[in-house]
Amino acid sequence: MATEQAKPATEEAKIDLFEDDDEFEEFEIDQEWENKEEGKDLTQQWEDDWDDDDVNDDFSLQLRRELESNTDKNEAKST
Amino acid sequence: MAAAAYMSMGEAHRRINEYLNRFSDAVSYQDGKSLSGLLSVSSNSAALLSLADALNTFQDANRVIRQSDKYSQYADILVPIFRALQSYRLRKLVDSYMAFEKASNAFVQEFRNWESAWALEALYVIAYEIRILAEMADVELSSMGKTPEKLKGAGSFLMKVFGVLAGKGTKRVGALYVTCQLFKIYFKLGTVNLCRSVIRSIETARIFDFEEFPVRDKVTYMYYTGRLEVYNENFPAADHKLSYALTHCTARKEANIRMILKYLIPVKLSIGILPGPLLLEKFNLNEYSDIVLALKRGDLRLLRHALQEHEDRFLRSGVYLVLEKLELQVYQRLVKKIYIIQKQRDPNKAHQIKLDVIVNALKWLEMDMDLDEVECIMSILIYKNLVKGYFAHKSKVVVLSKQDPFPKLNGKPVQS
Repeated sequence: MATEQAKPATEEAKIDLFEDDDEFEEFEIDQEWENKEEGKDLTQQWEDDWDDDDVNDDFSLQLRRELESNTDKNEAKST
Repeated sequence: MAAAAYMSMGEAHRRINEYLNRFSDAVSYQDGKSLSGLLSVSSNSAALLSLADALNTFQDANRVIRQSDKYSQYADILVPIFRALQSYRLRKLVDSYMAFEKASNAFVQEFRNWESAWALEALYVIAYEIRILAEMADVELSSMGKTPEKLKGAGSFLMKVFGVLAGKGTKRVGALYVTCQLFKIYFKLGTVNLCRSVIRSIETARIFDFEEFPVRDKVTYMYYTGRLEVYNENFPAADHKLSYALTHCTARKEANIRMILKYLIPVKLSIGILPGPLLLEKFNLNEYSDIVLALKRGDLRLLRHALQEHEDRFLRSGVYLVLEKLELQVYQRLVKKIYIIQKQRDPNKAHQIKLDVIVNALKWLEMDMDLDEVECIMSILIYKNLVKGYFAHKSKVVVLSKQDPFPKLNGKPVQS
């Protein structure tokens, strides 16, 4: 009887084993801590002024062609 | 195990005595560092492995402890720690965990009575080991078809330890280390709501300044509380915490920096700040590069594809919803591009955008939407202050404000 009950329990128990993919690695208790420079480096790696008016990239050029072909069509229709 | 078989009784006895002597010396001289080395069951250090072999050869170590006054006063720690080491060596991990928990309880009892915080480093080892051993025990339990419950037990034990440290006095500096071990347990078990009471205790304590905790614990703490803020969609707080972790993390732990960025990048994106290409490349976070590109271009199709491609990954880390909400910013960018292109053609009419034009642009991006749907999207953009202007319902035209028609987020989240 005991073996009969053991089987479904295995499946259930396996589902119960949790994981956190992003578990922070332990620092050593006496981890050497320097390199403030690197930290600063990383904080300077962000762009907050990227939302420019430049429309010369490939995507914008295609968008422009798309818009123009539609206006041309519309204008052709209305004349 | 072969080595154990050849160990003579006398040699085993000698090793056991040596350990007991070291333990007793470490306590009398208040040498926290030496003491911590004697408790690291899972470290597989040569000294502890050979001690475990000695214990498995010489079965009567408990008598050695009890016969000497010097050792017997610590019998409540020493007897179970021996058992934990022995069982660990024999890979009986549930046994090892249970014995270690007993030893830890006895240790905390002593620690409480020691006036100074000299044994903090040893307590750190206890807090770490109990989590690691509990995880191993749970794997064993689950493989035997039993319910894994030891990690939960380790959590309760660490809550007690937290209580011992969290009061005033010199021991309080250790409270954050224990908190971080608790976070690791709660995140693994998926019971993150249990973090709340510990956080409250850390953050409301007036008697102890957060900055006085060791930097390694502050970084870990900010990483986990930052993740919690991401789940709560509190982006300014998440930005603050994860940025703190990023600035203070040692460059030697690249894996940790990568994990911080994995959460910080979606947070920054949601407040309109992009990661430089170097960050994505250096830390192998390329799953974000198409999303960044989609924002820059106003490319809704690319955003959708990028979300689909990495859906599993984003769902697992819990940032999917954050990224999905970037859609509004991408719409804003697309409308802005349409506006700029119109302006180059005909500056006078540029501030009027026909809904038709947007419908066509969306069609080109493989998004089939009719006028009503696009009207709805535009109203949301206006409502959330991503577009300034009004909607002329009759002529189906969006009339843009002449001043700053596309307000930047400037580090603030989109209005909800």
